[in-house]
Amino acid sequence: MAVVLLPAVLAAEAGGQKRFELDAATVGEALRQLPLQNLLFDETGELRRLINVFVDGTDARGGRLLEEPLTPTSEVRVVGAVAGG
Amino acid sequence: MGVFLPIGTRKGLFFVRSADGRSWEVEGPLLPGWSVYHAMADPRDGTLHAATNNPFYGATTHRSRDGGKTWERSEELGLPEESGLKLNATWHLEPGADAELWLGGDPGVLFRSDDGGETWQVNRGLLEHPTRERWQPGAGGMCTHSVQLVDGTMYVGISAAGAFRSEDGGESWTPINKSVAAEFMPDPYPEVGQCVHKLLAHPKQPERLWQQNHCGVYRSDDRGDNWERLDGNGLPTSFGFPLALDSDDPDVAYVIPEQSQEHHFSAEGRLGVYRTADAGASWELASEGLPDRAWVAVLREGLAYDGAGNIYFGTQNGSVWTAPRGGAQWTEAVRDLPPILSVEVAAA
Repeated sequence: MAVVLLPAVLAAEAGGQKRFELDAATVGEALRQLPLQNLLFDETGELRRLINVFVDGTDARGGRLLEEPLTPTSEVRVVGAVAGG
Repeated sequence: MGVFLPIGTRKGLFFVRSADGRSWEVEGPLLPGWSVYHAMADPRDGTLHAATNNPFYGATTHRSRDGGKTWERSEELGLPEESGLKLNATWHLEPGADAELWLGGDPGVLFRSDDGGETWQVNRGLLEHPTRERWQPGAGGMCTHSVQLVDGTMYVGISAAGAFRSEDGGESWTPINKSVAAEFMPDPYPEVGQCVHKLLAHPKQPERLWQQNHCGVYRSDDRGDNWERLDGNGLPTSFGFPLALDSDDPDVAYVIPEQSQEHHFSAEGRLGVYRTADAGASWELASEGLPDRAWVAVLREGLAYDGAGNIYFGTQNGSVWTAPRGGAQWTEAVRDLPPILSVEVAAA
């Protein structure tokens, strides 16, 4: 099972749960199982611009993003983009 | 005298309470991580509603039916894909007729909920308004920040788009901007494009509207068909954002002018509330107790009044000020909150 880790604001919106174990083949499949759809994705279904996703420490925006493949041991970390000083 | 003020800030929601109007207690932050552009308690059932925004996770609303202990987020809120628009921010919540709830947002949009804020349907009359292509977002975006329902008529104020009136429950909207200046446009008196900063209808004289605009303070006595400009009558500047009325006296209004459109701080370097008691024919400074030397901003949702005539405002430097009817003496109820975005009065 892949593991998805959430930052504090999203964890609060998911009932306080910060860590999810999910059966998912891609990043998109994993994120779409979370109870946070309208916070992660805008009304066109696009991942919000300032949300970054790291798979085993690698920025998925540098790869295939939502199509990035996961293994049963993948760790997916959702992170708000660093902005400002 | 019990007072309960839901205070929206850039860093969450705070409750400010007083049992006697003299000593104040602060609870919060609730909804940490969210900028609360506006929060209010629905007088029909006490449910707390908040227009919540986050730079990473978008624009939404939250509601609490247990006094803020637990919160639920709206499930369906967004713009239809064919509009080509995306919801940038949620701005203002307003109870409507029967069970309906209204939500104003950016870009110049309005939503209606019939299930207490769980799901929201976009108002097509505004979304597809024939003048929309002439609306130009300003520095503050294009927010529907004022939603008023009086005597069966609806009004909205949209920054950089103007004021609009609906007499069919929001199906269609008529621009009501005659004689309202848009000095930043090539035609200074266009049909639409005026930058309303706050619009209020008087609850007991429903044909009377007031607005603080980018270009002046105005009053209408015919539901917005005609407007009279009032800021040459004793106000230090024509620019500002907040506006408050007196629920018992339609001739009373309060504004907090700012220096100019380039300089968003209190006019003339003093934190001054200006009051008219003669429908805008003259304005008087009501600043006893307020700092004489101050460069403070009060945002469009930052000034509120209650049914007893008491007035309250919150500043960008985190202070909440209160005064009894007339504003003769101000007291700093709370200080050092995060930058205040909105102040409302709720049943204590």
